[in-house]
Amino acid sequence: MKNRNPAGTVSILLFLGYMFLPILATYIFSVAVRWDRSILPEGLTLDWYRTAFQDRWFLIVFTHSITLSAATVLTSVVLIVPTAYWVHLRLPKALPLLNLISTLPFAIPAVVLALGLIKLYGQGPLQLARTPPMLVLAYVIFTLPFMYRPVASSLEAVDVRRLTEAAQSLGASWPRTLVQVILPNIMPGILSGGLLVFATVFGEFTLATLLVGARYKTFPMQLVYYTRRDGRIASAYSVISFTVAWVTSLIILWVATWGTRRSAGRGVQGELASQQASVGGTV
Amino acid sequence: MLANFRSRLQTGTGGFWNWLPLVPFLAITLAIMVLPISFMLEGSFRSSDGLFTFENYLQMKAPLYTQSFRNSILLSGITALLGTLLGTAVGYFTFRIRSGRIKELVITLCDVTSNFSGAPLAFAFIVVLGSNGVLTLFLTEYFGWKIYPAFSVYSFWGLVLAYTYFQLPLMVLLVLPAIAGLKDEWREAALGLGANARAYWRYIGLPVLAPAILANLLLLFANAFGAYATAYTLTGSRFNLVTLQLGSLLTGEVLRDPGAGDAMGVLTLGLMGLTISLYQLASRRARRWRQ
Repeated sequence: MKNRNPAGTVSILLFLGYMFLPILATYIFSVAVRWDRSILPEGLTLDWYRTAFQDRWFLIVFTHSITLSAATVLTSVVLIVPTAYWVHLRLPKALPLLNLISTLPFAIPAVVLALGLIKLYGQGPLQLARTPPMLVLAYVIFTLPFMYRPVASSLEAVDVRRLTEAAQSLGASWPRTLVQVILPNIMPGILSGGLLVFATVFGEFTLATLLVGARYKTFPMQLVYYTRRDGRIASAYSVISFTVAWVTSLIILWVATWGTRRSAGRGVQGELASQQASVGGTV
Repeated sequence: MLANFRSRLQTGTGGFWNWLPLVPFLAITLAIMVLPISFMLEGSFRSSDGLFTFENYLQMKAPLYTQSFRNSILLSGITALLGTLLGTAVGYFTFRIRSGRIKELVITLCDVTSNFSGAPLAFAFIVVLGSNGVLTLFLTEYFGWKIYPAFSVYSFWGLVLAYTYFQLPLMVLLVLPAIAGLKDEWREAALGLGANARAYWRYIGLPVLAPAILANLLLLFANAFGAYATAYTLTGSRFNLVTLQLGSLLTGEVLRDPGAGDAMGVLTLGLMGLTISLYQLASRRARRWRQ
């Protein structure tokens, strides 16, 4: 490629530069003593991380975000996996409905979803719309495509009907079939869906700030707060966010290749791209 | 009764019982998505004293609202176009990389970077292009080029750069399968019949790719139009975008009548719905070429 196609090489290098520069700069900024008046950073330090960790808010917002992510993944798996399994097995005529429902969240921006939820559940003394459980439910809907798609394609890749018949002819009950036979077979789908949901919720700002706001501060909310107050602490927060995002992406990719190897080479790329397409919702 | 229920489940004859396991899922969908949106739609036709009205929509003609829609459409349109053009080129060059390992690395990078968005990304752009940003200082020092105040990362063009950051790798990922779908035989046949590379692209390559490219352009548009966190982190509520307007309405920074917010939400949904429907049409057409 190097000699044959200089235009290609240059384009790719420029592209890599555009992609790497902001991330790299943020990582360096977070360990720089000062980097706002000279080309190179003035010395290295871990002070900003220390300041960030020592702030009592750090643990609170981190715990909140992890709790929301875990609760969403759990609810999503419990809600979607049995439903998708049942529809694939017994109710194929409901598949178009399920596909439609799981595409709809693409067309609903987080701000509009928040507006609707507050409209419907924001009244009265309870203010349900303003509570963390409601936020988790909103996240389940918001991340529905990320969970449903990989699970559905895993279900299509294995012969659910035959597996179920085999399990039941050996005397397994429905719950046992689902847990002991189907689940292990569609694990790659559940894992990549779950990880994508986890990472999305961990970094989600819009729904969190508009629905619960200061009542239940999350990691991204605190990050935005620091971007206006103290850039050095904001950089430590950003680095943690980026790290969570790229580590999850790499695990998802790893799980996807593992899953594909198991289910005999279906197009990973298209699969990944369609999963990625849904990621945009978080911006 | 229970035995009857069980046997029905197992033989799958009862159409009604077959729908029963879907109830939790459908109930949540209804409660969290369908009903709130319906209430918003209904609210957009109500005046503050509860009467039916078109007033909320007529209000949208005010400069405040038209400007926010114009800005949002411009920002999404420009970054979708940039993402599509550059992304298709990068996707093509990536596809042509001979070394499988390097190719895989570039794809992995796209995968990872398309996940970088929202607040941390906005902050990264402040680090690079803020008024004391790394690149800002570098350009001033080495090229004597002061990008401020003509440019600002907190302005429209700053948003364009930040949005393009997440649009570009997404486009690469989306367009790669389509490019991989271009069959070598088509190219060989065309070249064998005396076409040059240009003619091949003009009459075969691009027409085949066109539906996929158009579909992805629409997806990127919708992707940018609904974005909130990146713009909010960079500009606060100072810049007039549809999502920022709706957000400031919700957080009560600006006190306006809720009817106007509902109308704005409904118009946004309409625009998004239209874009996503067109995307579905185009991507269905794009799949014709792939088996």
